[in-house]
Amino acid sequence: MAAAAVCWALRSFRQVLPSPCPRQVRSYYVDWRMLRDVKRRKMAYEHADERLRINAIRKNSILPKELQEAADKEIAALPRDSCPVRIRNRCVLTSRPRGVKRRWRLSRIVFRHFADHAQMSGVQRAMW
Amino acid sequence: TSSVLSKDKDKSAASKDSTHEGAAKRKEDGAETPKQQLLDIIGNMKVEVSYKKKLQQLKASESKKQATKKLESLDIEGSVPQGITEDTQRGKPLNPELVKAASAVASSLPCNKKQTVSELLAQLRRHEETTDKQKKGGTINIRNVISEMTVKRQSPAQRGARIFGRISLQLDEDGQRIRRERSSALSMDSRRYFCCFSFFVYRSLKVGKRLNIFTKASTEQEHALETVSSPTIWDLEFAKEVAAVTAQPPRNGFEEMIQWTKEGILWEFPIDNEVGMDDDAEFHEHIFLEKHLEGFPKEGPIRHFMELVICGLSKNPFLSVKQKVEHIEWFQKYFEEKKELLQEI
Repeated sequence: MAAAAVCWALRSFRQVLPSPCPRQVRSYYVDWRMLRDVKRRKMAYEHADERLRINAIRKNSILPKELQEAADKEIAALPRDSCPVRIRNRCVLTSRPRGVKRRWRLSRIVFRHFADHAQMSGVQRAMW
Repeated sequence: TSSVLSKDKDKSAASKDSTHEGAAKRKEDGAETPKQQLLDIIGNMKVEVSYKKKLQQLKASESKKQATKKLESLDIEGSVPQGITEDTQRGKPLNPELVKAASAVASSLPCNKKQTVSELLAQLRRHEETTDKQKKGGTINIRNVISEMTVKRQSPAQRGARIFGRISLQLDEDGQRIRRERSSALSMDSRRYFCCFSFFVYRSLKVGKRLNIFTKASTEQEHALETVSSPTIWDLEFAKEVAAVTAQPPRNGFEEMIQWTKEGILWEFPIDNEVGMDDDAEFHEHIFLEKHLEGFPKEGPIRHFMELVICGLSKNPFLSVKQKVEHIEWFQKYFEEKKELLQEI
């Protein structure tokens, strides 16, 4: 049982390419935390509609309170990883949880590295 | 000079003429060694083998020079009327200067004068004919051949079959297989380009075979005739293989961008804001959603709630009509499940 779980985890850890691509493609995630974050994102995407609708029933002043309490229970019954609050915007290259700029999805260190090597389009050292 | 003659009879008449004329020139100038004559012959032959027009010009210039020289000298005037009479008998009018040159050459040689003169004149006539033909454009057959060639539309199955045929011949050499395929692809492309260029050769508008490039109906008919029942798995596999092999890495930035656009990495310009959004519904289907509220009770808090939901959906530009309908149906299902709970209240 444990071995099967580990196998599944290992297989899912490695990203399978659907079509042959001539360029270099990242085939592994940087670390397990990144993998878990990916799983959370996928789950959140799947349950997004349901969560929205149940919350619409909950955050209501028109519907009776019993209905809202039932909705509370329902949303609590959903898997924990389906809530978007658990998603962490990690750095795409280093999986760093902190110091990540949203626009580039990169941590500050990686961003600086690329910007200094002139590999970030339109990014320049500030001087004024 | 006899050895010279024997050598020249094997080669083309033009060179013969020029060499004879050259020999006549030199004889008029003075006695020269046979070695020098040989060298001159070889030099002349190298020049004249390539272009016929230049030949003619050379001949004409030499004949003109010779004519002027002959007018000065007195010995050859006697032989001129012979050449002229023979020429007129043959019918086709040659350049009189050339005739004079031929007669001069014949007179300079020790062999039978009349025979040589007649031979030279015959060869000159042949030259004239060929040059006339060239001017009219009758001898070149390549253009006719190319204009008859058509660029056919091929179905991918046919194309695959043809490539398969081409490659199967070269499958013996495994080591050089990829190179051969590349060269075959290149040659196919170069042939195609050649065909395309040949179409721009000026001809009258309605002469010649129809190429069927712009006629829609004919191409559709061709497609109807050529479609195979269903491509087998092996055909698909082979097509994929061929595509993988023939897909060369991009030679420049433009080709790279083309590849990216095909893969979907790069957007198509000018940017179309509605790419991927195939919502064909009219605005009234988005806004007037009350018809979907038939499953709900007509009074009560649920109806109130649903009307608010519909108001919100009608103002939503991001969802398609299908998604909005699904939204409402979900609520319907949910409230039906909770009917028992609601009836307790």
